[in-house]
Amino acid sequence: MATKTLLDIENLNVSFDTPKGIVEAVRNVSFTLGQERLGLVGESGSGKSQTGRAILRLTASQGHISADKMDFDGIDLINADEKTLRGVRGSRISMIMQDPRYSLNPIMTVGHQVAEAYLVHSKSSKREARERAMEMLKTVHIREPEKVYKLYPHEVSGGMGQRIMIAMMLIPDPDIIIADEPTSALDVTVQLQVLALLDDMVRDRGMGLIFISHDLSLVASFCDRVLVMYGGQIVETLDAKALHEAKHPYTQGLLNCLPRLDGSHKILPVLERDPAWMIAQDTRP
Amino acid sequence: MTTSNTLRAWLLSDSPDSAFQARCQRFYLGWRVFRSNPIALAGFIIIATLLTVALLAPVLTTSDGTLQILSDRLQPPSASHWFGTDELGRDIYERIVWGSRVTLYIVSLVAVIVVPIGLFIGTVAGYVGGWVDNLLMRLTDIFLAFPRLILALAFVSALGPGLENAVLAIALTTWSPFARIARAEALTIRNSEHIMAARVQGASSMRIIIHHVTPLCLSSMIVRLTLDMAGIILTAAGLGFLGLGAQPPLPEWGAMISTGRNYLLDQWWVPTIPGIAILVVSMGFNLLGDGLRDVLDPRSGD
Amino acid sequence: MIRVENLGITFGRGSDAVHAVRGVSFEVGEGENFGLVGESGSGKSTVLRAIAGLNDNWSGRIVIDGVELGAKRDRAFHKRLQMVFQDPYGSLHPRHTVNDILKEPLSIHGFTDTENRILKALSEVGLGPEFRFRFPHQLSGGQRQRIAIARALILEPSVLLLDEPTSALDVSVQAEILNLLARLREEYGLTYIMVSHNLAVVAHVCQRIAVMNRGLFVEEITQEQLRSQTPEQGYTRQLLTASLGYDRAKIDEFVEFT
Repeated sequence: MATKTLLDIENLNVSFDTPKGIVEAVRNVSFTLGQERLGLVGESGSGKSQTGRAILRLTASQGHISADKMDFDGIDLINADEKTLRGVRGSRISMIMQDPRYSLNPIMTVGHQVAEAYLVHSKSSKREARERAMEMLKTVHIREPEKVYKLYPHEVSGGMGQRIMIAMMLIPDPDIIIADEPTSALDVTVQLQVLALLDDMVRDRGMGLIFISHDLSLVASFCDRVLVMYGGQIVETLDAKALHEAKHPYTQGLLNCLPRLDGSHKILPVLERDPAWMIAQDTRP
Repeated sequence: MTTSNTLRAWLLSDSPDSAFQARCQRFYLGWRVFRSNPIALAGFIIIATLLTVALLAPVLTTSDGTLQILSDRLQPPSASHWFGTDELGRDIYERIVWGSRVTLYIVSLVAVIVVPIGLFIGTVAGYVGGWVDNLLMRLTDIFLAFPRLILALAFVSALGPGLENAVLAIALTTWSPFARIARAEALTIRNSEHIMAARVQGASSMRIIIHHVTPLCLSSMIVRLTLDMAGIILTAAGLGFLGLGAQPPLPEWGAMISTGRNYLLDQWWVPTIPGIAILVVSMGFNLLGDGLRDVLDPRSGD
Repeated sequence: MIRVENLGITFGRGSDAVHAVRGVSFEVGEGENFGLVGESGSGKSTVLRAIAGLNDNWSGRIVIDGVELGAKRDRAFHKRLQMVFQDPYGSLHPRHTVNDILKEPLSIHGFTDTENRILKALSEVGLGPEFRFRFPHQLSGGQRQRIAIARALILEPSVLLLDEPTSALDVSVQAEILNLLARLREEYGLTYIMVSHNLAVVAHVCQRIAVMNRGLFVEEITQEQLRSQTPEQGYTRQLLTASLGYDRAKIDEFVEFT
């Protein structure tokens, strides 16, 4: 399947002003996204979440975003005005966040929220939106959608909440989904079920998925390609299947310090951080 | 320049060498957030001015504001009497200045009574729960039910007029909301893991309430106090107006409005200027409270 | 060393009562690292908290070092058994310095040579004296967890309860903390009960593991069984499969275990 390039980013930088000086959260980040599952892996402070937010220009107001190029389907996201961005956010590029307890509106029924996601991005009647929402709940494998439609976010489990979030984000039929740790708050079996759902959706609709996570092994088993981030930069780009061939010492270090189920790592080697990894690289293709 | 640089470095360093330095650092960072908010800064300046005026009253005036020169009564503001004179020939400017001390005395006394009581009752009720909570909250409800001025009136009529009695009356009607706020905070805090850790170490409930719960309630107490200040000042002024608070010749601003109210139309400066003073100080506390809330709000980080 | 018999924990009263844990029994030998695994709602953390004395509403028997525990815990108990919590951001008081945090247990139990003990505790967990007067927000997640461990060890207990001690930490930091915990256990002959949902972590450090699901005991397996993926119960097998990573075909075979 020939994949067309959905997103083309060159030299993305995000920095913040703090009392202690300027913090560069994202530096020289360049990558392209096709109709594939791209994993963005890093520990806390690596800049992965900030990268995801910057794509939709959702960075906090004290932050500064700059890039040589940030193209989505002919739209220049870096220079676009708010009106254009609003047309992109949610309807063409969607974002799924970590904990549905915090990302769902607590005083609205979940069904209503899904319907609203449809209404906002299309001119249709409330009844049509409700029907589409019900359909979407079925698509995300929620049994008894009529019953669940009327529930409030605090009444649904974590896994169901994330399915609802996925329903909300997919109902406007976007081209790209940015998922920021979408399964980290879930149990491992539920995690995989939600990922399977995401997998099916992305495949069926030819979407691009950016999967941001700290879990390297999960990302490697789920995604097609993996970008490893450290100190705001991308230090390695890999095919997910070729993870064991990682060349950068940080990636190797991360892989080595993971405890293994088969107990093959006797003593977990401590990751020695080489300050050289922080030096700005030129990653322009 | 180097001294201020080293001071700044000392205040921003990541590894404080002593508890004192650590606490100074927290204060400094909070101050920076505060300073960046113009409204908060305005409030701070007003209150700082109040404090300075009160402190420097002997320097800023030539007498204690009680000197009556009857031939000079009801003079409009002029070079010799900046705010004019009142019906007994007293210089209004000097009475305002000395009155600032009275105002400060009132709010400090109320604060010193109300905050500890509210904190104690609220944190104990919130943390311990059960019948203790019920009992303390019913007690709080009883005091909350009284309208402030009415209770103050009743109290003062029973005990006799006077500034201290007025303060006591105001305090009695002000502490209830503080207890409620403290209780609400305590209810959230008591499920925190650091409380659990303290319990696993064998800490008694009292220790947990004093060392763990109370410090986290202080911010909302302070914010509430500054926002309530305006109300306290106005109530004191109201009592003064009714002749039940500060007794003459004490230059309390509310009493000044009261005794000057007959002259409102022809000699406007007599009641109006103390009124403006009350307005400015109340607003100062309100703005300060808003600013402090932004700084001390735990959600905005430390 | 530790024996739990038929532990039952209930929340709420009467018709609202929720039986969070029912009929759980296990034994932990001295110097052992015992794992307690399960998904959310399994009751594993609840069991740990009941042992620590944070929960009054339990039934059954808990025996620690020959002493049977009653409803309340005494001071001697707290010197023998301590706990490390999951969230390094929540388990340290935001307004207390590291010094305050480490001093508190010493003050409660009447130790006077606090300065020495605090400095020793800090160096035990690999932190220098420059951390002494920092506030928690000036520490990284790994450093906070080290302080939490230092606080737990400063009273020189013999048993340490660990409630998901590395779940909130980055992978590289997790490795450091797991190594630290292993070293301390060996050096001081400590007994651990470690709760985790991460089977790889548990397989790495625990000798015997109890599996729980929805408040009930499923089975007890050895480290060997975990590593060779040969548990007996279907629930445990499913959990193991899920821990291996994303495999679309296998996910379709997941079932609900009630």
